[in-house]
Amino acid sequence: MFRVRIAFSKQDPVRWLSHLDTQKAFERAMRRAAIPLAFSEGFNPHPKIAFASALAVGIVSFGEYVDIDLAESVDPEAVKERLQKAMPEGFGIHGVKAVPPGTQALMAAVNRAQYRLRAPLQEPFDEAAISEALTRSLAETSWLVEREGKKGVSTREIRPGLFQLSGSRTDDAVLLEMLVQTGSEGNVRPEEVLEAVCRYGRLLVDRERVRILRLGLFVAQGERLLTPMDVL
Amino acid sequence: MSRKNEISKILEDELLQKVTKPTRYTGGEHNQVKKDGSQVDVTMAFAFPDVYEVGMSHLGLRILYHLINEQPRMAMERVFAPWPDMEKAMRSRGVPLFSLESRRPLTEFDVLGFTLQYEMSYSNILNMLDLAGIPLFAEERGDGDPLIMAGGPCAVNPEPVAPFLDLILLGEGEETLPRVLQTIADFKSETAFPAGGADCGGEQVETGAASPQTGKAHRGDRSRRETLLLRLAAIPGVYVPAFYRPEYEENGRFLGTKPMRPGVPEKVKKQIVTDLDKAYFPTTSLVPFMDVIHDRVMLEVLRGCSRACRFCQAGSIYRPVRERSPETLKRQAEELVKATGYDEIALTSLSTADYTCVEPLIKELIATHAGQKVGLSLPSLRVDAFSVDLAKEVQKVRKTGLTFAPEAGTQRLRDVINKGVTESDLMETVESAFSSGWTGLKLYFMIGLPTETEEDLEGIARLAEQVVYKGTAILREKGIKKSVRVTVSTSSFVPKAQTPFQWEPQAAMADLEAKQAFLKQRLRDRRISYNWHDAQISFLEAVFAKGDRRLAQVLHRAWQKGCVFDGWSEFFRYDTWMEAFRECGVDPAEYAYRAIGYDDPLPWDHLDFGVSRQYLIREHKNALAASLTRDCRVDSCAGCGVCPTLGVSIDLRGGDHVPSPDRL
Ligand code: SF4
Repeated sequence: MFRVRIAFSKQDPVRWLSHLDTQKAFERAMRRAAIPLAFSEGFNPHPKIAFASALAVGIVSFGEYVDIDLAESVDPEAVKERLQKAMPEGFGIHGVKAVPPGTQALMAAVNRAQYRLRAPLQEPFDEAAISEALTRSLAETSWLVEREGKKGVSTREIRPGLFQLSGSRTDDAVLLEMLVQTGSEGNVRPEEVLEAVCRYGRLLVDRERVRILRLGLFVAQGERLLTPMDVL
Repeated sequence: MSRKNEISKILEDELLQKVTKPTRYTGGEHNQVKKDGSQVDVTMAFAFPDVYEVGMSHLGLRILYHLINEQPRMAMERVFAPWPDMEKAMRSRGVPLFSLESRRPLTEFDVLGFTLQYEMSYSNILNMLDLAGIPLFAEERGDGDPLIMAGGPCAVNPEPVAPFLDLILLGEGEETLPRVLQTIADFKSETAFPAGGADCGGEQVETGAASPQTGKAHRGDRSRRETLLLRLAAIPGVYVPAFYRPEYEENGRFLGTKPMRPGVPEKVKKQIVTDLDKAYFPTTSLVPFMDVIHDRVMLEVLRGCSRACRFCQAGSIYRPVRERSPETLKRQAEELVKATGYDEIALTSLSTADYTCVEPLIKELIATHAGQKVGLSLPSLRVDAFSVDLAKEVQKVRKTGLTFAPEAGTQRLRDVINKGVTESDLMETVESAFSSGWTGLKLYFMIGLPTETEEDLEGIARLAEQVVYKGTAILREKGIKKSVRVTVSTSSFVPKAQTPFQWEPQAAMADLEAKQAFLKQRLRDRRISYNWHDAQISFLEAVFAKGDRRLAQVLHRAWQKGCVFDGWSEFFRYDTWMEAFRECGVDPAEYAYRAIGYDDPLPWDHLDFGVSRQYLIREHKNALAASLTRDCRVDSCAGCGVCPTLGVSIDLRGGDHVPSPDRL
């Protein structure tokens, strides 16, 4: 068994693909690229494709990662080149590395996500008003947000999961950039951060027309932020 | 900002995040073809009047999409019916219906081509035209509007939708469509038609003359449109409804349809591919992102079926049987897997087990593709042990379900419909299936068939029980504890044009419901599950399948009252439809329940599908006498008329495999 880790981006129009659709897109592209997939045993064999973290439908990302098991060893550079040609428009393959045996699973390793979010302002806030809103909301030590889950609505505390937050203004929108917790320790969603900033900082935005960009996924080791490629 | 950029912006910023399954509307699938509109002479949007995942499962779309786009000066894009959530969002933002590839409004295309797959999608055609901002009735459209075209199986009797269409292609589109588009391209270069065509939108004249017949205003001049349609009507297989007029007696009795223009043929004859092996078949295929119904390589092994089941419209209209050679199919399979990355190849046709080279083909395909974990599937199986063997062979890579269609519960009724299956065939099949490792299967039947009695219904229940007993016994013997699962599905018989049962009335809705209730009551064994089709939908299907142009007004009214997606039970509104009939003064029962005499003129008489009236009459009489007609592939020609009329013949590619076992 030979595992490769692939760093990729997901932009228009494939930002609308669900997690499952993305998985299928990789599986099919690998077959088109004639890169031999390894399959699970059993009556309905399926390829072993594991993403670092689910990406919500509609979000553009510049830093996604996936581990794929191959049936034989293939030069990672060749995988990169052939896969890029075979992927649907909107996917960019940025790097491929062999994953040594014993490496921590991708999903378990990734624990930070960086986002940029753009929300149209509903009142003419200027740059100063925005930074004031941020200061005011960050002064709160508890951010409670409601999240709809399978078992109904639950209230969650997200403030400890926020590690960095900055804001600015472009055109008539507020731009937020944030580093938040993700993975097995818990997920903080960018729209929840926006919700908290609006509530505690008293900012008025059009929540219907928010654009979100995932800048990257990281492995935090102490103070250092590494990419899933760096840890290999 | 151009109209298409504007649409794109609203989509990306607002609409897509609001709707379920946004990839229904994004396009961008692998192998999508995107052409620069200014570099082509003619543009067509293939319009499927149902939601994306249904439309993308349609083989015809996949063939024509690549056929047309391989022509350097032609472009075809796609559009599907937006799901009601998207429709609402589009209407509230004033976004017109647009194509997936270039996100251009449909009004900027030369041609909009609808496929008529089933009657219950007709209201979606109207809704799509309306969403596109195109006048619904052909006579209201002017030189600035796209030509609205249609084709597909329901073109056998397109009369209920004829008033909405400018032209209809009869038969297999790969023959006629390129000719039609070339004619339009030539005409455009001579006359700058249509005024609103590719890349010069927005110049339509909004006020127009009133049509003399209806007083409805159409947009601007339509003289060039008429000239073009006359030219198109000269192409074999092209039917321009406006050039024909149905005639009625004072009391409303239909008298026939007559050509209105000199030079248009008395009867329009359908066109078909004579050599399927040489016919165009794409070596690439769109790969949808979301799950669609048939999400696999579709390999068409043969076209047509001459088993002559008397209710079957496909069996009538796709004659004669024409096969592809195994060499061609193997090459196509390889190219398609490479181009798509799919993990499954479906061998499609009306009856794939009948393909004369099916066994060697399956063996070789498995040998070639199993290494990549690419499996095979057989969507249509005969009721015989041979089919089970094939299915067994096929499931070496991936497990598939088994479905058989005995269609009727007694031998007598199976003889009436000419379904060449005996009870021992079925039992043998079932034995073979359970012995081979299946623990469940599906059985399809039809209720409301001509001459059906309670005994026939009882026969369905009895057959299902016998299958359960047999299966249970075999599983016990093999020491398998799992309980057998048998699913019985019934659809209601719908008499269809160009079949031997076209003269038959449909069973009354109350009777059909009573039959369903009887079976529900009878099939109580926990190992059997029973499902059935909505009888109200079947009734409307029958009305439209045998309807005439008077139904267009009813369809229009029903759509105005909000009917769309009628084929989806969650949207189907029977009461609204009945109101529409009442308001238009049309009695639906007259269409569904009237027995038609052999000499009565039929609304589809002016359309020649090759199967002769004499043959259909003979077959109807044979049905009533429960007398069988044999398959012309294994026996002598049954004289249906298709081969001499269309100048074709049966084309089989295999040697030793006889398509039918002993019976038939
Ligand atoms: S004309 Fe004869 S051979 Fe040809 S399809 Fe009809 S029955 Fe078969």
